[in-house]
Amino acid sequence: MPVVKLFANLRKLAETKEVSVSGATVGAVLNELVERSPALDGIILENGELRPHVLVTLNGHTTNDLSLQVAEQDEIAIFPPIAGG
Amino acid sequence: MSGWSETILDIDLNTLTYKTYPLDMEMARQFVGGRGIGARLLWDMVGPAVDPLSPENVLIFTNGPLTATGYQTSNRFSVTTKSPLTGTVLDANSGGYWGMQFKKAGYAVLIVRGRAEKPVWIEIKNEVIAFHAANELWGMRVFALTEKLGQNNNKRNVLCIGPAGENLSRMASIMNDRERALARGGPGAVMGSKNLKAIVVEGRERPEIEDKERFKFLLYETRKLLAASPLTSQALPEFGTVVLMNIMNNIGALATRNHQQTQFEGAEAISGEELTEKYLVKNASCWACPIGCTRISKTEKVEGEGPEFESTWALGAQCGIDDLPAIIEANALCNDLGLDTISVGSTIACAMELSEKGYLDSDLRFGRSDQLAPVIEAIACRQDVGAELTDGSFRLATKYGHPELSMSAKGMEMPAYDPRGLQGQGLLYATSNRGGCHMRGNMIGLEVLGLPKLIDRFQVQGKSSFVILNQNSNAAIDSLVLCKFTNMGVADEYFARVLSAVTGVQYATTDLIKVGERVWNLERLYNNREGFTAKDDTLPPRLLTEAPVDGPSKGWVSQLEPMLKEYYRTRGWNENGVPTRQKLTELGLVNLM
Repeated sequence: MPVVKLFANLRKLAETKEVSVSGATVGAVLNELVERSPALDGIILENGELRPHVLVTLNGHTTNDLSLQVAEQDEIAIFPPIAGG
Repeated sequence: MSGWSETILDIDLNTLTYKTYPLDMEMARQFVGGRGIGARLLWDMVGPAVDPLSPENVLIFTNGPLTATGYQTSNRFSVTTKSPLTGTVLDANSGGYWGMQFKKAGYAVLIVRGRAEKPVWIEIKNEVIAFHAANELWGMRVFALTEKLGQNNNKRNVLCIGPAGENLSRMASIMNDRERALARGGPGAVMGSKNLKAIVVEGRERPEIEDKERFKFLLYETRKLLAASPLTSQALPEFGTVVLMNIMNNIGALATRNHQQTQFEGAEAISGEELTEKYLVKNASCWACPIGCTRISKTEKVEGEGPEFESTWALGAQCGIDDLPAIIEANALCNDLGLDTISVGSTIACAMELSEKGYLDSDLRFGRSDQLAPVIEAIACRQDVGAELTDGSFRLATKYGHPELSMSAKGMEMPAYDPRGLQGQGLLYATSNRGGCHMRGNMIGLEVLGLPKLIDRFQVQGKSSFVILNQNSNAAIDSLVLCKFTNMGVADEYFARVLSAVTGVQYATTDLIKVGERVWNLERLYNNREGFTAKDDTLPPRLLTEAPVDGPSKGWVSQLEPMLKEYYRTRGWNENGVPTRQKLTELGLVNLM
């Protein structure tokens, strides 16, 4: 099952740093995650799309393509809007 | 003319005298302020024959037409000089309060030239300029000195050097308001070479604003925009800059152990999340800043500002260190001694690699957090192994026969972002006029964070246009002088509008970006005159030939050569990286050829 890693305030909202979530695509995994952690509702997804400035990586590669296929051993990381330099 | 202070204060430390004269307002229109005016003045004042640590070098402190107006983040100021670290043009800018006070003292520019016979400090209270003996202050550290000279955020502000500047460390910063830094490129060594310990300012003038109604409206609009942006209203104040640690590690672009790896197994332990949970005391902000990204952190031994992302990385991942309290304390120590954390951390990392490989006879080893504080003290005091490190990684690595182990560009240590996983960022480092730096332009927004949109970080073709736009925009913001974080919520267009409202001179957005391009090209001309050529637009061999063996950037090296060719062409420079007559004519710089 794909592993989802959460960062910054998403950890507090989901009450975990890391969780295994089933799903065949990035979008399916994120939807399942929100279903399991309702506190993330409206935080990472909005009307079925990624919220502005929310950052998702699949195995370390940034993507905003929710239809991307996900394999069993894949790792998805989700970051809320972050900035810096 | 409104906005600008129209007076230059010119101090000669050889004679402990000063004079004042008017700022050339045509030059001010062309270069605006800050970094721009600094570069233009340095061009005339410091030529190739001048040793950066000789009395003939100058320190040019500048503010901008927006400074102290109350516009959001209008607290910043610049120093321009010839860098003792790189030999290039150098500007460094800083926030806090000193810049605002300097403008209120009635000056647009403060030039410091010559060398005092004995240590001095300068006190500026509008038209009253006093020179004081600093014999008893020489040797003092920054925090104690700042307090002794009467730092009072809104009334009296202290800028000074610590022991590192006195000992002419080429990594010495100039500090202001206790923990703010004009950090990079060694300006503190230039100040130390002049026997100048501190400059204290008190001001009482308020800048004139041409169109007060329009200014008030733009102030209101900007406040709304900054509050509406999740980046400036939530991300920066809530998480600080160190939150970048985990994302850079996740994508395999976190330089680790002197860039030997691109991921650090200890990243989580030194992350923004860890800092916030265990060490954060409160937030703080610079004058007139609603963002408030500053973090006050505390360990058993210290409490103070920071550490920022780059400092945490340089003293952490780059040295293989995952001990966050030790990093917080090392950051505070650098501030107190007046040292640039990025160059210091990366130079220690270079020494660790040289030592582990048997090229340098020292016990410095990756991962040894207990070695941080002693070696930083030694660097500032030019003692023991610190005497080897204090002039930066390039001189150190060259002395021991391995210049390729210095992770620097033009001799300045690069920040955290590894160019093998960020092609545009590599081009930025290689072409930055002050050396390896992420503040002369930064591609992390585009290549990682999707600001304003995400582009492929591994793509090479077409990258130069993004890099150039970014560099020009940054040079314009540095000339205003505003904080670049403001730009995350407010577009360049607003800066042009507020500049027009304050000065009464009409700037379109394209005019402002053209100012940035003019400044960039002038800095390039300066470096060319100093003998820098296209061969200096490069990166350490490791980044060009050694691909990471694992992680998301596996197999990638920096594809610098094709990007550079495209960059020169897009800049309007010839194949040797020299601005063409046509480009200089377009920018009003042709008379400098």
